[in-house]
Amino acid sequence: MSRGRIFVLAAIALLALEPVMAPYIRVDVTIVSAALLFTIAAMSANLLLGYTGLPPFGNAAFFGLGAYGCALSIKYLNVHFITATLFGMVAALLGALIVAPFLVRRRGIYFGLLSIAFGQVFYFIAYRFTDVTGGEDGMAVPRPYLVVSAFTFKETTFYYLSLAVFIISIVIFKLIVQSPFGRTLVAIRQNELRVRYLGLDSNRFVFVAILISALFAGLSGALSAMLNGFIAPLSLDWHQSGDFVLATILGGSGTVWGPLIGSLIYEIGRDIISTITPYWQIFLGALFVACVLGFPRGILGTILARVGAAPLSNEPEEANWTQSPAIVADHRG
Amino acid sequence: MLEHAGPQIFNGLVLGAFYAIVAIGLSLIMNLTGTINMAHGSFMTLAGYLAFAMIARGTNFWFAFLAAPIIAVLIAVIVERTLIRPLYGRDPVYSLLLTFGLSLIAEEVFHVIWGANTLPFAPPASLSGTLALGFMNFPVYRLFIVAVLVLAFAALAFFLYYTRFGLRLRAAVQDTEMIAALGTNTQLLYTINFGLGILLAGIAGVLAVGLLGLNPTTGNTLLMPAFVTVIIGGMGSLYGSIIGGILIGLATSLMTLYVPAASEVIIYVLMAIVLTIRPRGLFGEEGLFG
Repeated sequence: MSRGRIFVLAAIALLALEPVMAPYIRVDVTIVSAALLFTIAAMSANLLLGYTGLPPFGNAAFFGLGAYGCALSIKYLNVHFITATLFGMVAALLGALIVAPFLVRRRGIYFGLLSIAFGQVFYFIAYRFTDVTGGEDGMAVPRPYLVVSAFTFKETTFYYLSLAVFIISIVIFKLIVQSPFGRTLVAIRQNELRVRYLGLDSNRFVFVAILISALFAGLSGALSAMLNGFIAPLSLDWHQSGDFVLATILGGSGTVWGPLIGSLIYEIGRDIISTITPYWQIFLGALFVACVLGFPRGILGTILARVGAAPLSNEPEEANWTQSPAIVADHRG
Repeated sequence: MLEHAGPQIFNGLVLGAFYAIVAIGLSLIMNLTGTINMAHGSFMTLAGYLAFAMIARGTNFWFAFLAAPIIAVLIAVIVERTLIRPLYGRDPVYSLLLTFGLSLIAEEVFHVIWGANTLPFAPPASLSGTLALGFMNFPVYRLFIVAVLVLAFAALAFFLYYTRFGLRLRAAVQDTEMIAALGTNTQLLYTINFGLGILLAGIAGVLAVGLLGLNPTTGNTLLMPAFVTVIIGGMGSLYGSIIGGILIGLATSLMTLYVPAASEVIIYVLMAIVLTIRPRGLFGEEGLFG
């Protein structure tokens, strides 16, 4: 058994034992549930950022669509929570189908700008459609009946549900990035021109990557809404997208397990710091600055580089960001 | 309802000029160094608060109006030299995250020092009141804003197209290595360019206070429309930013009058339309600012 596999099994064992350890290590199961679900959203950002090389600053829109899709389907159709989650994912997918045709045409900073701008559309829709979404005040999300309807909602039960969904997600994510499709995404990040010369329509690959990313974010949003029992438009704001990207980079973008590390630090750190001081936002900002300047490869990325299993570098082969993305677009015709 | 359209068109023009000046600052920084400056709105708010603090201590309005943006620029230059410079040439996501972090810190610091409530900020007596334009009455302060912004656009255009430094700046956007090889200190160029962008933001920030009020998020509310302005106008086009800004300013204020619920979303709809017809924006071209 390889060293990596031992670490993975140890991590899953630790996560499985968390509800037992919770009273001793003083980390609430709800916080870890939130971190696991946050990880799925960070993975969705990671697919675009770490593998395809596109800065995704609008993924909160897909996250929010998943949350509202889930919440509204429970409220109006009174569906089972699994069906509601699927509704959320479909909502995220539909949102992605609308914006992806615009996003695929651009790379680099232009992609970043567009993703922020298109993400905000969904924020304002949620904010303005007060009749349906409750507007700024948000809306309550009924908590799911899990196994038997007699027990409505239990933190521990929901924790294991989150863990199961997380493990399934990460297995799927790993299969995707190791598939020929995933390798093509990496190739697009490294040298898109060459990919096109090989006869592959890179835009089509990016399009599918955005849809997959939206499905992961939607799944995360739907389950997070049920965990919190609440959803508000701020979950769709680009600040939220920024947090997904931060967690990805903090853990190590372009690595499969990096987002988990980043998300755990983010959620547990927020929980601890909020109890000490009301100025969590200053710490979060400082974390952004420190992470970018001190840990550009992220925690896992740095460790992997140390042991020689170099992770995917996030820099393209010929980084020349001072050049206009429009010029790059011209090359692509 | 139609009789309100006239003043609302004027308001739209004022708003559009705001979006344009913020967008040009963003665009300057983005084109030369590939940095999406998420802290742009924070520097605007900073200039606003500085002006407010000076006036509250009895400083003359005109002095505060000039000094606040300059102090904001000095702070911006320090930030650029110490924090942003190490990230040039790296993936743009890093500078975006860094400036995003800075804006989070700044927002909370404003919050702690000046509180979350919107602070009152009255323009001086010479700028208050309304002016009869024959067909309608219009607040003098808004006319003042338009005058200042037009002056700023003219000064910037002169600077970029008729001075040696502007020439170097435009050349650096096209080929940084070449201009460095020809003996221009590009690091200094980056710093001055960043300062220039923040100067525009600072001026807009002080002006916006009298129009939108002053709270920790004043600048950030202008940031998103400014992004859309850059996308609609085309990255790297000075005139594109002006036209784009006015376009979405008009659209926003007319929507506020007729369909208030769609007043925020309309600019994104416009953006989608422009991108469908012309993916690089109305005036976007490869020779940025050239």
